[in-house]
Amino acid sequence: MTPVAPTDDTLDLGAALADSHVAEVLATLDAELIGLAPVKTRIREIAALLLVEKLRMQAGLSAGPPSLHMSFTGNPGTGKTTIALRMAEILHLLGYVRKGHLVAVTRDDLVGQFIGHTAPKTKEVLKRAMGGVLFIDEAYFLYRPENERDYGQEVIEILLQVMENQRDDLVVILAGYRDRMSRFFASNPGMSSRIAHHIDFPDYAPDELHDIALLMLGQLQYRLSPDAERALVEYIERRRAQPNFANARSVRNALDRARLRQANRLFSRGGGSLTRDDLMTIEAEDIRASRVFKDPAASEAER
Amino acid sequence: MRLTQGTFSFLPDLSDDQIRAQIEYCLAQGWALSIEYTDDPHPRNTYWEMFGPPMFDLRDTAGVMTELEDVRRTFPGHYIKLNAFDSTRGFETIRLSFIVNRPRHEPGFRLVREESAGRTVRYTVHAYAADRPEGERYE
Amino acid sequence: MGAATDRATPVDTADRYRAGVLKYAQMGYWEPDYVPADTDVLAVFRITPQEGVDPQEAAAAVAGESSTATWTVVWTDRLTAAEAYRAKAYRLDPVPGSPGEFFAYIAYDLDLFEPGSIANLTASIIGNVFGFKPLKALRLEDMRLPVAYVKTFDGPPTGIVVERERLDKFGRPLLGATVKPKLGLSGRNYGRVVYEALRGGLDFTKDDENINSQPFMHWRDRFLSCMEAVNRAAAATGEVKGHYLNVTGATMEDMYERAEFAKELGSVVVMIDLVIGYTAIQSMSKWARRNDVILHLHRAGHSTYTRQKTHGVSFRVISKWMRLAGVDHIHAGTVVGKLEGDPNMVQGFYNILREPRNPVDLQRGLYFEQDWASLRKVMPVASGGIHAGQMHQLLTYLGEDVILQFGGGTIGHPMGIQAGATANRVALEAMILARNEGHDIWNEGPEILARAARDCLPLKAALDTWGDVTFDYTSTDTPDFVPTATPS
Repeated sequence: MTPVAPTDDTLDLGAALADSHVAEVLATLDAELIGLAPVKTRIREIAALLLVEKLRMQAGLSAGPPSLHMSFTGNPGTGKTTIALRMAEILHLLGYVRKGHLVAVTRDDLVGQFIGHTAPKTKEVLKRAMGGVLFIDEAYFLYRPENERDYGQEVIEILLQVMENQRDDLVVILAGYRDRMSRFFASNPGMSSRIAHHIDFPDYAPDELHDIALLMLGQLQYRLSPDAERALVEYIERRRAQPNFANARSVRNALDRARLRQANRLFSRGGGSLTRDDLMTIEAEDIRASRVFKDPAASEAER
Repeated sequence: MRLTQGTFSFLPDLSDDQIRAQIEYCLAQGWALSIEYTDDPHPRNTYWEMFGPPMFDLRDTAGVMTELEDVRRTFPGHYIKLNAFDSTRGFETIRLSFIVNRPRHEPGFRLVREESAGRTVRYTVHAYAADRPEGERYE
Repeated sequence: MGAATDRATPVDTADRYRAGVLKYAQMGYWEPDYVPADTDVLAVFRITPQEGVDPQEAAAAVAGESSTATWTVVWTDRLTAAEAYRAKAYRLDPVPGSPGEFFAYIAYDLDLFEPGSIANLTASIIGNVFGFKPLKALRLEDMRLPVAYVKTFDGPPTGIVVERERLDKFGRPLLGATVKPKLGLSGRNYGRVVYEALRGGLDFTKDDENINSQPFMHWRDRFLSCMEAVNRAAAATGEVKGHYLNVTGATMEDMYERAEFAKELGSVVVMIDLVIGYTAIQSMSKWARRNDVILHLHRAGHSTYTRQKTHGVSFRVISKWMRLAGVDHIHAGTVVGKLEGDPNMVQGFYNILREPRNPVDLQRGLYFEQDWASLRKVMPVASGGIHAGQMHQLLTYLGEDVILQFGGGTIGHPMGIQAGATANRVALEAMILARNEGHDIWNEGPEILARAARDCLPLKAALDTWGDVTFDYTSTDTPDFVPTATPS
């Protein structure tokens, strides 16, 4: 885009928005992800900022190339990777990122096993991610100050370099648990200063989890009996309170176990033919058989 | 003398933008890029030194350009070429290869003639630079 | 003749073998229900029956005469499994737009052919039938060689991929030129032309088809001079260079002697002419592989039988035979040169030579699906009246795996042979660069050349001299076949 001298001509924001097709991606976001209201709001805000920045550049105004690196904090199963994918698309549509693909890695993909191994390994990942977005999950594992022979620091150095000097080539998103990420940033102010946008992913509310479960069941072509629906509500309440709750992922796991129990129930019923309805319906007992419904102390011991 | 190996040697040396455009073309075909360098430009020298392994699965030129900067900084006086490799069946070979750096001064080759029976001559080509040891061949 | 009774289906066995004369269709050579086996060799002939001859009977006759039939019934047929050895005409289509002409599809059992022998294949298919009186004209249009048969051949000794690896040249067509004048130069002067052209930027130079060993230049003197020139140019440029040394001779012994000398002198390539015959070509192919030399074939004499649409053998069949017999280069047409060449037909030839598999493509004259069973690819050569100003058209029509030969365009350059070679090389590299960058070279070609010419005086001179000479081919030439028939 060649900058144009500032004039009094008006720039059509609506047209710019339509041209970029960003609205479509945001609509997809709304459709495919349940809840996440605060996250979706943040995404919309960032998209607006980037769009306006583009228009400002066209008008010859510039606040310098915007910093785009981000951090996503929250518990597992709250949609961080999905949002990262959509963010990559939006950045691409708005022209901030050349190709718009997402490369998702963890510490093990970046850190080497012996001296001299780390730099080429990290650089290889970076090369693959260039033109798109690099998503580093549980980024704080890169920092292990207690182990002086740990090569994670090297990765951090390389990332700091690239995040500062090759902003046109790569956008980095760091992700992980909220408290651990803030400890990580506190110990690595250089990293913290390069992050432009912090987005927090709150846990899903119980009714959102319920909706997610129904959506999943629909996709899998199952349905719940009315008793099973009530059982599911209870299940979610109990499971949420327990440790290691991974939001949507935990719901998914629970549904898979319910399906297993349904299958065994149908099997052990013995004799007789099955109707389509039989095959599709999950009964309350398929859910209530879960450990979650047993005595909490006992279920802790079993874990 | 100007070594005219590689696909674009008869054109003026390519600018970084032109190199980038060629890399973009190679990525679009799904070819892997690799960088090689040498100070022995004999036409039968098939195995130049590899600067890192070939780069598979790239989506963007930036990665290659960074490597290119690196190799030029490390071996400014060597011949450096960029290869694009196609692994599809029926090819499994290099599809594009061009020089992206050359020594400032290229002394060229001597034709060595060994007279044999009758009027037969056995020929070989000898690079003047190769008279010096590896690493000391070009200023 | 021509009446319904002539189309009788084969009579029963006892009647079939009673002495006398039967119609071919009655002898069992017309079998419309026959489904060709995967191992059958298939052929499609364009037949023009004489006035009053039933086309089905004519097709059956072609099948018969190219396999087991004779004009009368013979009892000795009973000593054979005659059913198997009979070729079967299984399909007959009228040629669109040409009344009186028909496409006859014929299937041959694999056992009719000796493995790995083109001489036998051709003697079998075309050895007997072309003079047959009931046909006014006959043309072998296409053949399908089954994988079982393809596998009995070694194919090209080098192939496109290995050739490029030996030359270390990738990403662009190769450049060549035939030495001019065709005849009369002495060895030493001949070598001068070679040196100048290779030094200027061409990859190859070429003997012409009739340069063998004549009073004005003995072959040994030519070989010695050329190899001096080739190596001198290699040293000057740092590239691998070659000259197609023509080893065609009167006998195989002569040819082996010449080829051995070429090898001794270190040539990367030797050349043979089509007229040496299929047996000699296969021998030379084996020799080339044993000695790691590229084999170039000049298709000398082919147009005596490939050019007429109604009679002869189509060049696409020759291409197939040559890929099997095993040559590395073959001249296959230019489209935009001085010689008339329908772009569709030429692309058909190129596809046969270069692709791992050819689907049915009636528009390009490919009547059968042909699987090449990983047989190596032949590099097509485009030669004849082309010049640097056509580079964008050549690249578009012919692609990248091709040798472009600019004889006159190199040697006739106003600034000299080296300049001519340089002009062609710069034009080619500039066009490839632009194509890779995403330019529409078909339309922007002239601008791209003009821009490159700004840094290259020889190219500028070439464009000024020949720039207006375009056999500007707007491909509207309709192929003689409009795809209406169902693929076989």
